[in-house]
Amino acid sequence: MSLLTLDNVTIRFGGLTAVDTVNLEIKQGEILALIGPNGAGKSTVFNLITSIYKPTEGTISLAGKPLVGIPTHKIAEMGVTRTFQTIRLFSELSVLDNVKIGAHCRGKAGLFQAFTRLPGMKREEAEIEEKAIKALKFLDLETKCEEMAKNLSYGEQRRLEIARALVSKPKLLLLDEPAAGMNPQEKVVLMEMIRRIRDTGITIFLVEHDMKLVMGISERIAVLDYGKLIAEGTPLEVRSNNAVIEAYLGSGKFKSRIRR
Amino acid sequence: MKKLLNNWLIQVLLFLSLLGLTAYGSQIINDITSPYVLTIGLFIGINLIMALGLNLITGVTGQLSLGHAAFMSIGAYASAIATVNYHLPFLVGVLIGGLIACFFGIIIGFPTLRLTGDYLAIATLGFAEIVRVQFTNMKITNGAIGFLGIEGSTTFPIVMTIAVQTICAMVWLENSRNGRAMLAIREDEVASSAVGINTTLYKIQAFAIGAFCAGVGGALFAHTTTFIQPTDFGFQKSVDILSIIVLGGLGSIPGTIIGAIVLTAAPEILRPLANYRMIVYGLLLVVIMIFRPYGLMGGVNLRQAVRRAMMFPKKKQAGREE
Repeated sequence: MSLLTLDNVTIRFGGLTAVDTVNLEIKQGEILALIGPNGAGKSTVFNLITSIYKPTEGTISLAGKPLVGIPTHKIAEMGVTRTFQTIRLFSELSVLDNVKIGAHCRGKAGLFQAFTRLPGMKREEAEIEEKAIKALKFLDLETKCEEMAKNLSYGEQRRLEIARALVSKPKLLLLDEPAAGMNPQEKVVLMEMIRRIRDTGITIFLVEHDMKLVMGISERIAVLDYGKLIAEGTPLEVRSNNAVIEAYLGSGKFKSRIRR
Repeated sequence: MKKLLNNWLIQVLLFLSLLGLTAYGSQIINDITSPYVLTIGLFIGINLIMALGLNLITGVTGQLSLGHAAFMSIGAYASAIATVNYHLPFLVGVLIGGLIACFFGIIIGFPTLRLTGDYLAIATLGFAEIVRVQFTNMKITNGAIGFLGIEGSTTFPIVMTIAVQTICAMVWLENSRNGRAMLAIREDEVASSAVGINTTLYKIQAFAIGAFCAGVGGALFAHTTTFIQPTDFGFQKSVDILSIIVLGGLGSIPGTIIGAIVLTAAPEILRPLANYRMIVYGLLLVVIMIFRPYGLMGGVNLRQAVRRAMMFPKKKQAGREE
């Protein structure tokens, strides 16, 4: 069953076609990786799914419901959360607050509750806190609760971003280069974590440059080059796909250098 | 004990008794202090109420506004018209002043809140100028001559009670879902909308509440000075309020309180310096900002500091047992 469907999605910025008639299906419960050379349009795909950009043509739908034209802040409520290529944390706030804010779309309290502080509001606050601590435990950050987000190490910040995206129990988690800047050990831990997240029933769609990680965890890989989807399949299929090799290593005289 | 304190009814009672205590205490101060000192206290309270409003907009939500005096003037004139022309009671006039300012805060919020940073600052500055010029040219406000004959109904206990209420409201708001959303917008707007925060909605909420506070402050101001004119609410006034929150530490409620006290009292304390007064005042600002670049209370998490101070002795004891 497909959870997210991209149907003929195209976006043009002036004369540049960043994403060109992409058709992609993400199945419920899988780990799908999107790879491609720099500037291929991978992050643009994420921005299209989260409605930061509106596609020039085509439709995107989540479990049958269209996502195009829905404001970005409603996307999280519908069950799609993300992390960013360049870390975007609420750096002057505590780790716990960061994750609590992640649960925003699952809360209901408004101004009235804020000022009256009725028991119902406090119950919701307690629930949010409990959820936040659970998410932090899941990503092994619970000892850093009171720390300010900007004081965490790089790898911890990456994990905090994932915790913030996880706390609202999304259906689909978009990870934009989660391993960027991590050392090999941290990458191994990250792979394990991504698998554990998937095992809780969350579908994962990630963009990544680190091939070891991509080949290690993804069940399917889609390859993007100059905005076009050039290949799709299991890691093994993609690795031996001629178009992919050409996109990464070039053609012509370079092709002859590839040892088969 | 902790469970008891968490009971809603007990908290309401605590809040009410805090208000009662404030009113009673300030009444005593009112009776024993000289009118001069009392007036300074009054203005500290009024500035505090307005600064808390701006702190919500600029300090918590991160939207730089240079038009806070406009909301203040709207509140001042609205309440003055309500009490003088329509003979409404003073406190009703204050409420009306706040509500009308709040209304304008929402109206101005929709188009301008699509702007960010410096651009928003200029837009709010323009709005403040429009309001000022409008008041100068309106008949009902008596134009540039100024609005005369407002009753001096503002008293020290009233201002203090409202100030304490405002402080409580701001603390509650900051520790709620809405407050967290506002803080998130200050930190990173793109990430906020990615976690499901409707940034426009919360910015407008912040503007509305901030403008309400400014309106209430303006209404109290009008009923203190008994005479208001458009020039009272110029750019200088907006900057005065902004310096209170910047000096205190953006986003910090205790900082805003200290800032309001320091910046309102300093010109009076420096009065013996006669001609050099404002030079020293300016110097004071520069020196404070050099030594505390994030404001007096900037980067100080009071709750954490208290918790740490309370934890420390316990840890020491545990060490001894070992």
